[in-house]
Amino acid sequence: MGSFLVMLDTLLLLALNGLIWGLIIALIALGLSIIFGLLDIINIAHGDFFMVGTVLAWFTLELTGNFWVAFLVVPLIGFIFGALIQRVVIQPIRNVAALSIVATFGLSLILQEGVRITFGTTPRRILPPIHGTFLLFGIDYEIYRLFAALIAILALAGFFMFLHRTKLGTWMRAVRHDRETAIAMGVPAQRVYVLTFGIGFALAALGGVVAAPITTVEFRSGVDILPFCFMAVIIGGLGNLPGTAAAAVLLAFLEGVIQSFADPTIARISSLVLMSAVLLARPQGLFKGLTK
Amino acid sequence: MITPTIIGRAMLIAFGAFLISVPWLIPALLNRFWVSVIAEIMIWSLFAASVNLLFGYVGLLSFGQALYFGFGMYGVAIGVATLGLSFWPAFGMGIIAAVAIALISGIFAVRLTWHYFAIITVVFSLIFYFLAVSVKPLTGGDDGINFALPPTFSFGGVVGSFSSENFQYFFILATVSLCFFLMHCVIRSPLGKAFVAIRDNDVRAALIGLNVYRLRLIAFVMAGFLAGVSGALFAFFGRYASASYMFYHVSGEAVVWAIVGGAGTLFGPIVGTSLFIVIRELVSTHWEHHSLIVGVMAILVVILAPKGLVGLWNDRLARWGERGKDASIRTSLRTDP
Repeated sequence: MGSFLVMLDTLLLLALNGLIWGLIIALIALGLSIIFGLLDIINIAHGDFFMVGTVLAWFTLELTGNFWVAFLVVPLIGFIFGALIQRVVIQPIRNVAALSIVATFGLSLILQEGVRITFGTTPRRILPPIHGTFLLFGIDYEIYRLFAALIAILALAGFFMFLHRTKLGTWMRAVRHDRETAIAMGVPAQRVYVLTFGIGFALAALGGVVAAPITTVEFRSGVDILPFCFMAVIIGGLGNLPGTAAAAVLLAFLEGVIQSFADPTIARISSLVLMSAVLLARPQGLFKGLTK
Repeated sequence: MITPTIIGRAMLIAFGAFLISVPWLIPALLNRFWVSVIAEIMIWSLFAASVNLLFGYVGLLSFGQALYFGFGMYGVAIGVATLGLSFWPAFGMGIIAAVAIALISGIFAVRLTWHYFAIITVVFSLIFYFLAVSVKPLTGGDDGINFALPPTFSFGGVVGSFSSENFQYFFILATVSLCFFLMHCVIRSPLGKAFVAIRDNDVRAALIGLNVYRLRLIAFVMAGFLAGVSGALFAFFGRYASASYMFYHVSGEAVVWAIVGGAGTLFGPIVGTSLFIVIRELVSTHWEHHSLIVGVMAILVVILAPKGLVGLWNDRLARWGERGKDASIRTSLRTDP
């Protein structure tokens, strides 16, 4: 009976961890999804956008000694990077979608090497800005993790507010829905592309800042997270933003649950198998018709 | 009269002569190390050719060819190290393993196209990558399997083995050339024309009676074969197999090589692969961040030469040929009274 309770505790803990990771992944995957939906680009470098976010958070802490600054500064830097990348790299190849995979693969190499040169290869850890733990299911649980979940939820809510309540957000939805008509109605599509790529990078970078104290900061972290984000985008349905967010949370939660009794690799394999099944049986995603 | 066709033939002959003379020419000019670099380039060119067959001729962008490369590699390594097979059965086992898994995954994958196809091929390769990492007793995980090479053949006193560097080079050259020749034959055959018809417009191809699904599956299995052969060769070449070669970065590199070289051209993958591996070998000894150059070049080529380097060259050549024709027409007009 006692061991059963311990198992239940671990299960709940891993499920909670999964939930929190899922919210962070949802932020990153949303960026991937809007870039995909608007620009028709499979962004191989998106995981590295997240990685750049974690590294910039580390640098901000080093330079200013204050982690909170990173929450403001890093997404801003991410936005500028994203806008620049769209202008310089993505714009010239907009008409040939297949080339975008090569271009973003090149971008991914550049970002990773850039970080290796400046930051080095040793993985580092950041102490959470909120210290302290509280007792949860018989374990000292870090308060910061709950705070991270809160930030992720706020950012998600903010993003959806932006998308539905502001002019720029409406433009973005209009261009995604019907590019030609939107342009005919006077929406400056060119600027919307730049904006979209910038926001995509900023969301991933914000995800990086939130995740930095939970995970390790290193140049390779984007490679691990990229397949996961794609899974969320696919299972949620390409271009279905609420679906993507829901799928990210669901996937991470499920992986957390599976990890409580099996190897993490097994957990990863099962979600990949789930993703193949979704792709083959319901390519429009699990949540089609849920929200649009 | 020098026409583009003649230039093409002359270059092909010169290229063939160069490849045959490499084991003597290169040590005389540079050093022996570059002979094995060229052998490696040939193996990876074959791998890039498998991406090219799918993307350049059938219009399916596979981001998971490393899976079939990995099966070819592990087929050989497990055959030799675990089952104690000799050279040819192990080679066969690698190729059969790759073709079999290509057939099984192809049955599912070619039901999808474009983005979905690219993603499901990555997903399949990731599933087997994680399996290979976790089934350590069979695959050695990330550490991989090292094995001792069996001799390729022995007739009486004559023994051919990869331990002889020249034998290794010519064996790889012969195998890769054979595969490229087979691919050339397929592309020129009615089957190849059907592939191109599907690439250009799959709806029209279906309307003229082509079985699009089956043709795509055939191409997928053929590409799996090419990747499997290259994986098997690489295992013999390195006496080594590792799960890390099944990761999606390996597939991605092959996509970059094929597209930068020129998708839809026979020699594109060779040009792209040579370019990137030569740069890697030249730079990596002096500067460890050579990936930076690879990334910048991939982006530059995609922006400046969207058809790839061979595509650019072909366009130039065609324009030059056109100009020649125009000139001759003009002169003939002028001589007319």
